[in-house]
Amino acid sequence: MTKIDDLISFEMFKNAIFSIADEMAVTICRTTYSGILRDNMDFATAIANAEGRLVAQGLTLPFHLGSMHTAIAAVMARYGDDIGAGDVFILNDPFAGGMHLPDIFIIKPVFADGQRIAFVLTTAHHGDVGGRVPGSNAADSTEIYQEGLRLPPLKLIEGGARNETLWTVIETNVRLPVRLFGDLRAQLAACEVAEKQFLEQVARYGTDTVKVYMAEVMDYAERLARAAVSELPDGEFSFEDWIDDDGVEFGKPIRLFVTVRKEGDRMSFDWTGSAKQVKGAINSTLSVTQAASYTALRSILPGTIPNNDGVFRVIDVTAPPGTITNVVLPGACAARALTGFRMLDCAFGALARMSPELVGAAGDGGNVGVSIGGYDKDRKPFIYVDFACGTWGGRPWADGLEGNTNLFINMASQSIEVTESEHPIEILAYELAGDRCGAGKYRGGAPFYRDYRLGEKDAVLQVRADRQVVRPYGLYGGKPGKPGSSHFNPETEDRKLPSKVTMDFHEGEVMRYVIAGGGGWGDALERDADLVLNDARNEIISVEAARLDYGVVIDAGTWAVDGAATDKLRDDMRTARGGAEAPFVSRED
Amino acid sequence: MTDYRIGVDIGGTFTDIVFLDDGGRVLTKKISSSVDNYAQAIVDGVTEVFADTGMGGEQILEVLHGTTVASNAILELKGARVGLIASKGFRDILEIRNLRMPKLYDLRWQKPAPLIERYLRLVVDERIDAGGNVQRPLERHDAERAVDRLTAEGVEAIAVCLINSYANPAHERLIAEVIAERAPDLPFCISYDVLPEIKEYERTSTTVVNTYVMPVVSKYLKTLRAGLDDRKIEAPLLLMQSNGGLTTGEEAGQKPVNIVESGPAAGVVGAHAVATRSGYRDVISFDMGGTTAKASLIENGAFTRTSEHSVGGGIMIGSRLLTGGGYLLKVPAIDLAEVGAGGGSIVWIDSGGSMQIGPESAGAYPGPLCYDLGGTEPTVTDASIILGYLNPEYLVGGELSLNAGRSRQVFADKIAQPLGLDLEYAAYGARQIAIANMIRAIKAISSERGRDPRGNTLFAFGGNGALFAAGMAHELGMKRIVVPPSAGLFSAFGLLYADVEHHYSRTIQRLLGAADPARLNEVWDELEETARRQLAADGFPPERMQFRRAADMHYKGQIYELTVAVPGGVLDQASLAALEEAFGEEHEHTYGHRAGADEPVELVNAQVVGQGIPEQARMPERLALERSRGAAPPPARDAYFGPEKGWLETPVVARPDLETQHHGPCIVEEYDTTCLVPPGATASLDGRGNIIVELG
Repeated sequence: MTKIDDLISFEMFKNAIFSIADEMAVTICRTTYSGILRDNMDFATAIANAEGRLVAQGLTLPFHLGSMHTAIAAVMARYGDDIGAGDVFILNDPFAGGMHLPDIFIIKPVFADGQRIAFVLTTAHHGDVGGRVPGSNAADSTEIYQEGLRLPPLKLIEGGARNETLWTVIETNVRLPVRLFGDLRAQLAACEVAEKQFLEQVARYGTDTVKVYMAEVMDYAERLARAAVSELPDGEFSFEDWIDDDGVEFGKPIRLFVTVRKEGDRMSFDWTGSAKQVKGAINSTLSVTQAASYTALRSILPGTIPNNDGVFRVIDVTAPPGTITNVVLPGACAARALTGFRMLDCAFGALARMSPELVGAAGDGGNVGVSIGGYDKDRKPFIYVDFACGTWGGRPWADGLEGNTNLFINMASQSIEVTESEHPIEILAYELAGDRCGAGKYRGGAPFYRDYRLGEKDAVLQVRADRQVVRPYGLYGGKPGKPGSSHFNPETEDRKLPSKVTMDFHEGEVMRYVIAGGGGWGDALERDADLVLNDARNEIISVEAARLDYGVVIDAGTWAVDGAATDKLRDDMRTARGGAEAPFVSRED
Repeated sequence: MTDYRIGVDIGGTFTDIVFLDDGGRVLTKKISSSVDNYAQAIVDGVTEVFADTGMGGEQILEVLHGTTVASNAILELKGARVGLIASKGFRDILEIRNLRMPKLYDLRWQKPAPLIERYLRLVVDERIDAGGNVQRPLERHDAERAVDRLTAEGVEAIAVCLINSYANPAHERLIAEVIAERAPDLPFCISYDVLPEIKEYERTSTTVVNTYVMPVVSKYLKTLRAGLDDRKIEAPLLLMQSNGGLTTGEEAGQKPVNIVESGPAAGVVGAHAVATRSGYRDVISFDMGGTTAKASLIENGAFTRTSEHSVGGGIMIGSRLLTGGGYLLKVPAIDLAEVGAGGGSIVWIDSGGSMQIGPESAGAYPGPLCYDLGGTEPTVTDASIILGYLNPEYLVGGELSLNAGRSRQVFADKIAQPLGLDLEYAAYGARQIAIANMIRAIKAISSERGRDPRGNTLFAFGGNGALFAAGMAHELGMKRIVVPPSAGLFSAFGLLYADVEHHYSRTIQRLLGAADPARLNEVWDELEETARRQLAADGFPPERMQFRRAADMHYKGQIYELTVAVPGGVLDQASLAALEEAFGEEHEHTYGHRAGADEPVELVNAQVVGQGIPEQARMPERLALERSRGAAPPPARDAYFGPEKGWLETPVVARPDLETQHHGPCIVEEYDTTCLVPPGATASLDGRGNIIVELG
């Protein structure tokens, strides 16, 4: 490490650089055209040094933690010395720096004193990038070539001049070019804001000092991360979990397997043992597997550690190519988010084995994606894309959250009224579902369900869900959450739909999905009876479930716990168990 | 006989009362906030001043009040037991919120508890579509069932918010009718009356918060009114709203959701008034106290507002991105950015060896080390003592004596030695880092909005504002600082400058290009009529009413809106085209880019602000300066100004001494605040008693 002569100036610089990354995020957030971008916060911003090492990432999605340096590396690999002032790069190819096609990266090198000193970059999820299904997100595509426009690293702007050929190709290949260009404009504006402010820092401290400071910001994060990792128990901890299916071969669960090794101030996440790459579009790029691993670790470290390369140095991520955790050509990966969420759950399972008090049981397994697209009476296209998730597993210190974003992302739900005013879609229900959370000393969160009705003649409906077969696991005696489900016309014929489906959708038809309930943590018989009473009164669980799952006897007339009957019932239930030790993980009742 | 106007600001620890007579003389009173009964504290404070001065209730013309009673009811969850009636299928809008959490990677996050438990949230079977058409009519007996069940549960108030009611309030009105009939004394709110705007979570949350605090605020205002009456103060009681306008006690009792950020707003209103009178039109107000620092932008002589804010959920840097903490209120409020940095903020070293400031605060008790009340952690104020900026012997004119030795000892042990730094350099570093944190608040309301802070004047107040202003200005490249008189209790003072103001809005979502001007005129006229009725009820004759119109707009497909002024009078196609152009300019100004001419612009909300113009100017042009209280400090002390300049002998002066320009370094010590003038800067007084610091 180079000596930092001026600790205080360095501190000011550190503040400034993260503030710039956040300001980039604000710029995108406020000017975006797509609900998914703003509400799902499905974008990321960052500043990297001249070698492409991540110095600062904005306050955006954990999901994108592994993606930024991967994207810059792809640009550098392709262009080498041909990276000049006034160039702006674009890419979305998962096999050349990207994650999945809807995530478009915009990367701008920053020059000072005639040398490259940094990169500023953003990635953002675009509503549609062409391909066979509106929204470019289908889970049942089987090759990358079906998924939309594929852009390797290319110069969108070269030496300050727009590459008109490329702009035209993009415009011609996506369903809503106006919207896509609106969001690209926001990304470009964010890079310009960042470049300007970064150069102010250079003017203030000088090029050489800024280089030293950038290195130190990374070293600083590394020191914090190492100090925190050292305090965790050493050892090797494995966990496995299964994805229901890939949306192409139904009934065939897909194994995820991770081994976490911890020694001293280093950690590794090894995904060897996970299933081979699948036909459906849920294959993960290495960058997403890295992000899941980094996020698992970050979540158990103190919150003040900056997000940058320094943290990544503490952790090794291994994922064999050709598996679902590291896709190779021509694998499809549009819906790889599903696998990302589930890898995070799997990594958390391994950390739970490391030490009981670190993490909670499994939540809903990530968001359910719905896209409804078609053409209205005037042949004008409409695309509605919505992702929602909301249930956490019980934690060693508290119940699982309900109606709360998955930790891997930080999404906000789109307003129902705004959706109805802008799309030919009605949302008939969006509320919590009773008796679906896993029992435990700390119960899992209650899931919600949503009903969509189409108000246009016809459309293509695409749903990507999971945890409909393999339930969210409970830990340390906690019960698993109830599985999720999808239904066609739930109030009339109530036909069960597969977890991943692309189908025709007609006016007046209704699709319902219910997300999975969170798994419980700890023995349900140890749950405070008054909390059980509260849950029953609030119809999160039934009075019946209070008795059967928790051994709590409730008088629903007066809303009181019958203390004596409860004690007796709980004693009887314990006796019936015959002293069997509570399992570490439960996946079935 | 002299007449007085009174400004009363309740803070966390102190209640400040400012009396202003018609000759511009100011009398101040600082009393401890008696938490059980704020109203009593105010009446007691006023009574003491009456006893000291021989003043009588009949001499009081107006009582202007900034209060934390509504925000405390929310923060402490001490509002009413409320029931909610929602649409079938949407029982949990209030609890699900918008899913987002305010912190990343936080496995320990707990959502704020919903203000209404689930069993008190009922649904009725009805449906109105986005166009306002009734799809499934609400049966009266269904509404009766819901109301009867809530009354049987013993609720103290009912909130009603149905899906798409912004487009057609018929079903909410029917429920209102049923409540009035079956529970005539029960307070209730329907969402259309509170916030007739699109977005169900925002509308539900706002309506519920309003209902939740309504009984508490009404009771408080009644008690206060009775206490004032008891002291023969018959003057009207006006409340500061979060939006910076005053409202009557009656209206505040109905729409308490508007007075939640009452106190912080008052400071900005004062800053705005004092600064614009002195000719500064582009100003950043900077209010730094013991635990937080707040910044707000005054642009071209007008303060900036935000259309929503949250109460509770802590203070966080970058909060504009990571929302989801606290309780959401979608009502206009002065746009404030807040960071957890103040005099009491604790200085510590993290495990990476980096010095950090806050957000933990030592508070008023035990307070900084130098208070010698048992504090064990070094604070920002201790750093100021070590640097020689604060009087090492005492504060508030001698009322609070200090132990500077303790500051030095503990700061050296816990910060300077572990970092291998000299004591003064470590203290200087703590100050710089506190400044860097606070700069994020200023950036949030300036550069993150496309506004360059450098052309602005920094208007500093609060107990610590003047001490840090020069450091802030230097880092931001700002050239001028204004420190008003009574800077330490400026929020109470700011109340005296405010005018009566009411804000109304309604969703009118449609493309600007396809909008029928006649229909738009109708909507704005209706809103203006509502404002007119309220101002008339407040006692303003038509010639003393003023109305401003505005529109929230975005490019079709965007989700955030920008607010653009709309001309009064009748709109036609030409004025709509001008409006579209104004939006494009605002978009470019704020975000640095705009869309092509072929991209449709959408109108989202219509807004009207009605202002009551007082009969005569509320404030005299000039204020008479209060003489400084307490013992005069020694004429000079050594102060440290960084590694380059080192320790310099620094004169200590009083505000009136600045009648002649002083060159920095110098320190201006006052009863309620200390102003630091660094080397290279000059300080002088303007004709209104403000300290003007010009940075070199």
